[in-house]
Amino acid sequence: MTLFHYIHKDTVLHRMDGRLKLAALLFFGLAAGFSSEFHDYLVAFSVLFCALLLARLPVAALLKEMGFFGVLILIVMVVNAFTIPGEPIPNSPFAGISQQGVITGLRFAGRLLMVLLLSVVVTGTTPLARFRDAVEWYLRPFPFLPAARVATMFNLTFLLLPVILDNFKEIMAAQNSRCVQLRKNPVKRLKYLVFPLLDQTLRRADEIAYAMEARGYSEVRTRATFKSTKTDWLMLAISLLVFLFVLF
Amino acid sequence: MALLETEDLTHVFPDGTVAIEGINLKVNAGEFLVIAGPNGSGKTVFARHLNGLLRPTRGRVLLDGEPISKDLIGARKKVGLVFQNPESQIVGQTVAEDVAFGPENLNLPADQVATVVEESLAAVGLSRFVTRSPHALSGGEKRKLAIAGILAMNPKIIVFDEPFTGLDYPGVVQVLKEILRLHKNGHTILLITHELEKVLAHAGRLVIMHGGRLVEDGKPETVISRVENYGLRMPLREGEKVGSLTWLK
Amino acid sequence: MAEETVASKSMNLRMTVYAALFTALIIIGGYISVPLPVGPVPIVLADFFVMVTGLFLGFKWGLASVALYLFLGILGLPVFAGGRSGLAVLFGPTGGFLLGYLLLAASAGLLAGKGRPSIARILMALLTGNLLLYGAGLPWLKAVTNLSWAGTLAAGLIPFIPGVIIKITVALILARTFLPRFRERLVSS
Repeated sequence: MTLFHYIHKDTVLHRMDGRLKLAALLFFGLAAGFSSEFHDYLVAFSVLFCALLLARLPVAALLKEMGFFGVLILIVMVVNAFTIPGEPIPNSPFAGISQQGVITGLRFAGRLLMVLLLSVVVTGTTPLARFRDAVEWYLRPFPFLPAARVATMFNLTFLLLPVILDNFKEIMAAQNSRCVQLRKNPVKRLKYLVFPLLDQTLRRADEIAYAMEARGYSEVRTRATFKSTKTDWLMLAISLLVFLFVLF
Repeated sequence: MALLETEDLTHVFPDGTVAIEGINLKVNAGEFLVIAGPNGSGKTVFARHLNGLLRPTRGRVLLDGEPISKDLIGARKKVGLVFQNPESQIVGQTVAEDVAFGPENLNLPADQVATVVEESLAAVGLSRFVTRSPHALSGGEKRKLAIAGILAMNPKIIVFDEPFTGLDYPGVVQVLKEILRLHKNGHTILLITHELEKVLAHAGRLVIMHGGRLVEDGKPETVISRVENYGLRMPLREGEKVGSLTWLK
Repeated sequence: MAEETVASKSMNLRMTVYAALFTALIIIGGYISVPLPVGPVPIVLADFFVMVTGLFLGFKWGLASVALYLFLGILGLPVFAGGRSGLAVLFGPTGGFLLGYLLLAASAGLLAGKGRPSIARILMALLTGNLLLYGAGLPWLKAVTNLSWAGTLAAGLIPFIPGVIIKITVALILARTFLPRFRERLVSS
């Protein structure tokens, strides 16, 4: 699985200062949320696609793995097309589709796709540690907020997300091979899925906590060093411009 | 004076289960010690006392004659623990990041962390994997990564908890070679296993745990004849010597 | 250093790891979501894991875990239901439900109590939590979408009632099976 994983390359995006990248991510995320007109999408997607190429990520493999989300996007579009009230489309073979529904569905799908592409670019080019260090850097000035601890949690969550997801798939497969789908009672079905998942996750948590302690875990730790180049600032400026363009 | 010593080490769980009881063990610098015992004999609980992860109900652990409870961080630097499941030891998204975890905890300056990481990875031969995801490594390489993570703390003693579990033949050979190299370089090795046939030839001493107690302690040649009394498989056939108990050619 | 501070440090680390893993579970709960053909609120397991997080981690750490979840989403990482993210989602139709997760975890943690878990208390805690969740989610949904109250309930409440009942039941069974052992283990180390 390459989706949402760091893929090591040596490009300007990979080298970018984590703090600026985090800010750029925030601007772009806002842009995705506010996009509504066709030209908004055109600009945002062009910039994102350039970033994808610039980062030299394996585009074909990534698109293939986004299939899961593709189905989701499709469902949302269809649901919207049928349920949003409005003018019916003339000569449409499907009764009950409204123009407004299709437009709303497309907008929604566009936003979702944008967020996904954005995360692919960011997670693919940013080592988790640099991300974590940037988060810690932003949180440090806040009083009463244990920045180091939040950073550790951030790191662990993303480190173990794929592991737990694999675990979940394995449990599903094991249950399906024992014909869980024949069980009609939804309480039992959910139970059989969640019990092993929680049990294994808690066990794993215990072991990780021991392993971290054995290696002397401390919240007073070596601080990351940051350095930003002009290119980094340029990229931040581009994302700010995209956001402003979409907003107005 | 022994490098590592336990006195009457006892751990009772809150539900009343006695995990280990009255363990007295002295380990001298430079020893290669194998601790064997069936599942549930308390080996792992014992190991987790050696660097203070678990605190004893009774008794104590001494390092260089000092109780470890006085300086737990010091104990964790001196006693490196390689866990049974290497997956749960990985805390970094890349190999280098994972090895850096220990030195970063010690709050070393960033450039020093980088040097230590480089040296530790070179020591176990994983230098070419620095930017790789640890989960993409083979079983044997994951164990070596765990070893590198511990070497970065510069320990005197390395405790291996079932280091061969789940490894294929090349994996076992890889890890075994690494352990022997560490021993040759002056590290004291405590190796917990129930798979004596893979490693006993290299050990200078064999300790057996059974039902939470230390029941045998002596030269492998003498102790080996009694292992079947304690739920372990006798690895030697008629006429074979302890020296044949290794997976290295 | 005193034994006491060492023990509390080690406890903090454990809770930190638990909270991070529960955040991961909430995220995964949002991925296995099924959009329903009745409105913009998809059926997810995220709320189920939020309940479990509150019950297992208690008020403080349960809240921390859910707060981290929201924080990651705000940063722009695709952690919300169906891989969405960003401030726009938080201010969108389902934003009230997302903020309601904080209330759900907090009340599950606060009302379920410490000591030996009693079924009645846990049930009460989960019911209150869900009331607060929908109490925050529904008016928000109405305000953002300009639906009538009838429309809001049809889109944001009625289709979810069977799911919520199932989730509460499973959370109850889960708490009864795991919680006593979990708490014992926490004290023991």
